Amino acid sequence: MTLGAEQPTDEDLVAAVLGGDRDRFGELVDRYQGRLVNYLFRLLRNVDDAHDLAQEVLVKVYQVLDRYDPQYKFSTWLFRVAQNAAIDQIRRRRLKLVSLRQDDDEGEGRDWDLPSLERGPYGEMRNQERADAIQEAIDSLPWEYRELILLRHQGELPYEEIAQLKQMPLGTVKNKLFRGRQMLKEKLQDFLTD
Amino acid sequence: MKRPDHNTYREWLNLEVDGQLPPLQRTELEQHLAGCAECRAEREDLLALEALLQKNRVSVRASFKDDVLAALPTTGWENRHPKTWAFPAAVFVLLAGIAAALFGSAELSAAGPGASALLAMADMLGSTVQAGAGLLAATWKGLGMAVGEVIASPMSLGVLGVLVISLNLLLFTLLRRRRAAEVERRR
Repeated sequence: MTLGAEQPTDEDLVAAVLGGDRDRFGELVDRYQGRLVNYLFRLLRNVDDAHDLAQEVLVKVYQVLDRYDPQYKFSTWLFRVAQNAAIDQIRRRRLKLVSLRQDDDEGEGRDWDLPSLERGPYGEMRNQERADAIQEAIDSLPWEYRELILLRHQGELPYEEIAQLKQMPLGTVKNKLFRGRQMLKEKLQDFLTD
Repeated sequence: MKRPDHNTYREWLNLEVDGQLPPLQRTELEQHLAGCAECRAEREDLLALEALLQKNRVSVRASFKDDVLAALPTTGWENRHPKTWAFPAAVFVLLAGIAAALFGSAELSAAGPGASALLAMADMLGSTVQAGAGLLAATWKGLGMAVGEVIASPMSLGVLGVLVISLNLLLFTLLRRRRAAEVERRR
């Protein structure tokens, strides 16, 4: 093997899996698990649900992998499936939009693991405050902006893929992301200078 | 040339943060930033927002990948991929080789094992097609005769009707039970 050999593309990995090398699907899981779980977490507001649904989405994608059309990016397809699954789940379960803070007040321990940015009692409190503020700011965005912001920031999809996924003109995607970010920036102003 | 207005620069800043600003516009933006404190502050805010969102990501469970791989079912397409066909294909080639050795003509054997194997396989295929066609014709003929007998007698026709309806009812009941069990299991 040569040094600096290029990584296989997602499409190469899909082709390998379809060719019978089932283990290569693990590489796709490696590539997308972080983005997928965080994207779903921001939509579902529960880390266990996000993990469960991310697993369901990946299994579902595997089951119909032979229907994947390589003219589209694998990530576009994956996040389209994830978004539809999340919307279904939100509708089905009628998620109660209680704040993360309220969960704590009710005595339910937080089972999700946010990176510890600041240490000590004050730091922990500040981390929590920040995490709550981010979630509330995202939740307060109108859906049409929220979905694009999450696809961009959590899914890390490029503009072109978002446009393809949402079947929107590229200019509309840019415009909505711009406006969505402005709204987020205003709501999170206090935390931007930390 | 007309210079972009302030809002355009702000849009460009967003594109820049996402790495989507073309090089020409980036140069122009840098020139603007050098003399505009407001836009510099805007860029700082955008970068801080990006960092804030990146820092507050949840960790993925250590067992997540293994859980996903363990949950992968055997799918329909897996049964069609080449690896699955490799074994049956090897068996077929082996049988064809044995057939060639046993039944290949002496002349073709002299011409080489490849030609001999091809002839034997063609023979086998021809015989299979002939046998299949004969069986099909015989089946249709027999079925035609049986239907003729049934139609000729009203009694037989009635019995056949009752039999068909009973079988349909039985099938319907079994399917309904299975569906009820599935619904129960999902709950």
